[in-house]
Amino acid sequence: MVQRLLLAALAAAPLAAFAGPNGLTTLPDTTGATPSSGLSPAPVQAAPAEPLPWYRPRHVVAQTGGGLGMVSAGFGYSLKDRLDLDILIGYVPRKYAGSRLSIYSAKLLYSPWTLPLGKSQKWALKPLMVGGYFSYTHGTLNDEEPNQYYRGYYWFSTDTRVGPLLGSRLSYALPATAKGRSRNLSAYYELGSNDLYVISYVQNLKGLSPVDILTLSLGLKLDI
Amino acid sequence: MLEFSPNDHRAPDRQQDLTAKNLARLNQNPLPAGDTLRFVFTGDSQRFYDEAEDLVKSVNQQAGVQFLIIAGDISDFGFGREMRWVDDHLRKLKIPYVTVIGNHDSVGNGRKAYEAIFGPLNYSFAYGDTKFIMTDTNGREYNFDGKIPNMPWVNQELKDTSTRRHVIISHVPPQDEDFDPAVRDAYVTALRNDPRLAFEMNGHRHDFSIGEPFNDGVTYINSYGFEKRQYVIVTVWGDKQFRLKKVQF
Repeated sequence: MVQRLLLAALAAAPLAAFAGPNGLTTLPDTTGATPSSGLSPAPVQAAPAEPLPWYRPRHVVAQTGGGLGMVSAGFGYSLKDRLDLDILIGYVPRKYAGSRLSIYSAKLLYSPWTLPLGKSQKWALKPLMVGGYFSYTHGTLNDEEPNQYYRGYYWFSTDTRVGPLLGSRLSYALPATAKGRSRNLSAYYELGSNDLYVISYVQNLKGLSPVDILTLSLGLKLDI
Repeated sequence: MLEFSPNDHRAPDRQQDLTAKNLARLNQNPLPAGDTLRFVFTGDSQRFYDEAEDLVKSVNQQAGVQFLIIAGDISDFGFGREMRWVDDHLRKLKIPYVTVIGNHDSVGNGRKAYEAIFGPLNYSFAYGDTKFIMTDTNGREYNFDGKIPNMPWVNQELKDTSTRRHVIISHVPPQDEDFDPAVRDAYVTALRNDPRLAFEMNGHRHDFSIGEPFNDGVTYINSYGFEKRQYVIVTVWGDKQFRLKKVQF
């Protein structure tokens, strides 16, 4: 398990580093204040925001579903208001899964467009978010103890999942912080699946439908 | 769709306790004493949903079969959603179906999913003159803890003399390396000593076979996997007489 967590961290690290340096530029990372996009609502700012250290999370996230927990919460980074990396820890009670599960996940989502809604400059829509996730589940019951199986007995991992994500996000511009950084509160949905569901569908185009393999997440994201 | 985890085994009411629901359906058409028993025997539906659809069409054309048995490995990854996908097809059968848990159904939190969607891991039911004893033999999934199959339960079930004959069905056959070697003798001996036992049935090997692997007069029958696009119709009469018919689909 430790190796898998390390692997997850390693996989996520370059992305975090990639997303991070943006914070040092003059571009704030929120929808409300991206001057170059032209599409985004740009609330009046008293003074340019102070640059943030690269490691400081740009938003907090909470969501339900998507195979990542009954509730999952975490933080994330944003690059040019288009690429988001979120790190989540999820929880599933025993009642719903047979044992209490904690699910560690990383999501990477790219949103090419931000469309302002209405004249108030308060609302904006990201009509398309596309990306994927990686998750590791801790707490499953029958979980490959040493020497339980010979090598290759099961070809799939019980606890490690990857999957595609597709969704949309609606943002509302909150008053800027005391330091002048604009902030959004966003609500999003994501349709997703996972490696094993996708394989099941691809091999059974007649016996399964795409709807069979879909998962839904609903979440909130708050810039900090 | 708002799935908390692939191990999330919540299901709509109609896809919970399917064993009890299917047995209730079976009992709506009771088999009078002395009448011939006829059922479809298959196994290992796993990731073969296209085949499941075709199997249902084929079985629905069979006249005179009373129910269908899947000898374990309903799912491939032990996920509730997979078990429901199989049920999405099998609920279109005109006859009820029952299952026994397989090793793939035991992966991760699969046993809990199986219990929620199908029912107990060990259970028995009587139909006409026959008592069916369904038991978990997936010893490797318990890391060979010496308790699978649950021999006190199996012995108690075999001791029951209220029906004319017994049929015992499990997933991993006792001659297989995934059966707990510490329990093999006890299981094989108990079966040999049951005068009412007609035969023993398994899945796991994905292919049909029939024989007496322990040369002790007990017949062991293995099912086709769904991907073999064949199943067996089992007809039983008299004390222990039976006939098998292979059907391709």
